[in-house]
Amino acid sequence: MDTFEELNAVFCKVFDDKDIKITPEMTADNIDEWDSLSHVNLVVAIEKHFGVKFKSSEIIRWKNVGQMLTSINEKLAAK
Amino acid sequence: MNSILIKNNQYNIGYICTSQQCDEGRGDKIAMRWINSSLEKTDYTFNDIDKESNKFANVLKNLSFNKGDIFFTFLPKSTEQIFAFLGTLKIQAVAGTLFSNFGEESLLDRLGDSGAKGIITKKSLYKKVSRIQEKLPALETIIITDIDEHLSENVLSYSLLMKEASAKFNVELTQPDIPSVLHYTSGSTGKPKGVLHQHKSVLLQSYTSQHILQLNENEIFWCTADQGWVTGTSYGIIGPWSLGVTQVHFGGSYNADVWMSLLENEKITIWYTAPTALRMLMREDRAIYLKHDLRNLKHIFSVGEPLNPEVIHWSRELFKKDIYDTWFQTETGSIMITNRPGLTVKPGSMGKPNGAIDAAIISDEGNIINDKKTGNLCLKAGWDSMFRTYLNNEDVYNKKFKNGYYYSGDLAYRDEEGYYWFVGRNDDVINTAGHLISPFEIESALLEIPEIAESGVIGAPDDILFEKVVAYVRLKDQFSWSDDLEMDIRLRLANKLSSIATPQEIKVIKEVPKNKSGKIMRRVLKAWYMGTDPGDISTLEE
Repeated sequence: MDTFEELNAVFCKVFDDKDIKITPEMTADNIDEWDSLSHVNLVVAIEKHFGVKFKSSEIIRWKNVGQMLTSINEKLAAK
Repeated sequence: MNSILIKNNQYNIGYICTSQQCDEGRGDKIAMRWINSSLEKTDYTFNDIDKESNKFANVLKNLSFNKGDIFFTFLPKSTEQIFAFLGTLKIQAVAGTLFSNFGEESLLDRLGDSGAKGIITKKSLYKKVSRIQEKLPALETIIITDIDEHLSENVLSYSLLMKEASAKFNVELTQPDIPSVLHYTSGSTGKPKGVLHQHKSVLLQSYTSQHILQLNENEIFWCTADQGWVTGTSYGIIGPWSLGVTQVHFGGSYNADVWMSLLENEKITIWYTAPTALRMLMREDRAIYLKHDLRNLKHIFSVGEPLNPEVIHWSRELFKKDIYDTWFQTETGSIMITNRPGLTVKPGSMGKPNGAIDAAIISDEGNIINDKKTGNLCLKAGWDSMFRTYLNNEDVYNKKFKNGYYYSGDLAYRDEEGYYWFVGRNDDVINTAGHLISPFEIESALLEIPEIAESGVIGAPDDILFEKVVAYVRLKDQFSWSDDLEMDIRLRLANKLSSIATPQEIKVIKEVPKNKSGKIMRRVLKAWYMGTDPGDISTLEE
């Protein structure tokens, strides 16, 4: 499973919907349950799954799933 | 009140907000500028919303819905939700609304208790409904907004139904006391309670829209509230449209730059939002505000939880405007105690009664207090938008009234100039981002998690949310705490209840404090959290 597929699995778990198919352009407006509070759960789940930690300044720069993925890949490469 | 509003004794909210506006010559006026999350705009005139809601009324009639049946919307902000809400009211069925982030247990509580006969939702949210459908025998009809074909005899396509429905509908004369809108609200004990309103609530919703929010035909109004909650229906639909006001409805989520662009580009004159949003805006880069021309914006109002003075000072400095804090509850149906233009704002104060009601601070012994002492914030019963009952819970409803006064559950005091000041709740209900959350509901959901033996939930102060949910849990002996378990708990609560019910902090303790009759002593938990004296603990279980 590559990072993209793993991230998709995290989304499915966090939003309790096995049919979610993420795309790089996807934003919170594309998933009904994705609000500011569930975003906290998403970030925590991503950090736990990938064994990485993000600073607030990194998180607020994410405008879509693609940028989230780039950030994860950068952290994984630096490990 | 508002005798001009009621024509020929017709109190029907759906009619007043649409057909009556057309009858009065506003048919071609824009009622709603719908802006989706991609910022695409669609305008709907009063003629359009009249026709669309007529069609939905006919859809329900064709599906054998009748007066008094309960029909829910379970949708994120959308035009379909608004047409369905108004159409439901036009046939004198009860229009319930559900927050689109509710999980299946929250849905089951509300749909089950009300005996809802129908619901409109979308494909992605229907998954939650389908998981609990077999526990809802009364739920006969499910309408889905984003499918092209009917899925079965009772899972139906909105677009197909609307295509076949007539745009003409004769709204029967509706008496003032006919049930209209249903919202569920949380108490500190028991399940959420269904707050039932009547069509005559439109009188006070219209009055406060005009005299408090300063709405008139020339204004362009944006209420950011979700239609799943009372502000979204009372002031995102009913009040403004009863006055023929153009509303902007935005389907996207919070984004400071987008919001400022909307205020500027749509020339919004009156803006009604929430303290949590304002506090988030306050933390944004000032450059965002400086690049927008907000000269059309006349007034900013706020509702949901107390507005801290620093937000008002921020607005005065940045926007050169006060923010007018308003107070009401699901049960009150419309703004009750409030700041407004023309009344000097004392930052941190709730303001004064709306001019059409009587309020009082009453001691636990039943005496009216006038001397800055804290007591129960009460309203003289009988205002037009007063709730009619808690559905299936008349006893609890009756207990809210004593000697002709409604006890709001809030504690407050009144100063020598008649301003009211919020002090706190007299129960354990948590107000997080303007949403009331029952600690009992969260504690119950926590106990369904196999690893948890006991739970106690409190609200604790938070800079953005006003209060955050904090959960204390005792694990069963064979389990130990881990990051995995914490994540599972968070997700379970978010998906079964809602994201707003998810604890911001979870603390593991050896014993949840209870009194000798087994009641959780939440005030002790709160004192532990705050590092304060827990007070009298003589009743604490050994």
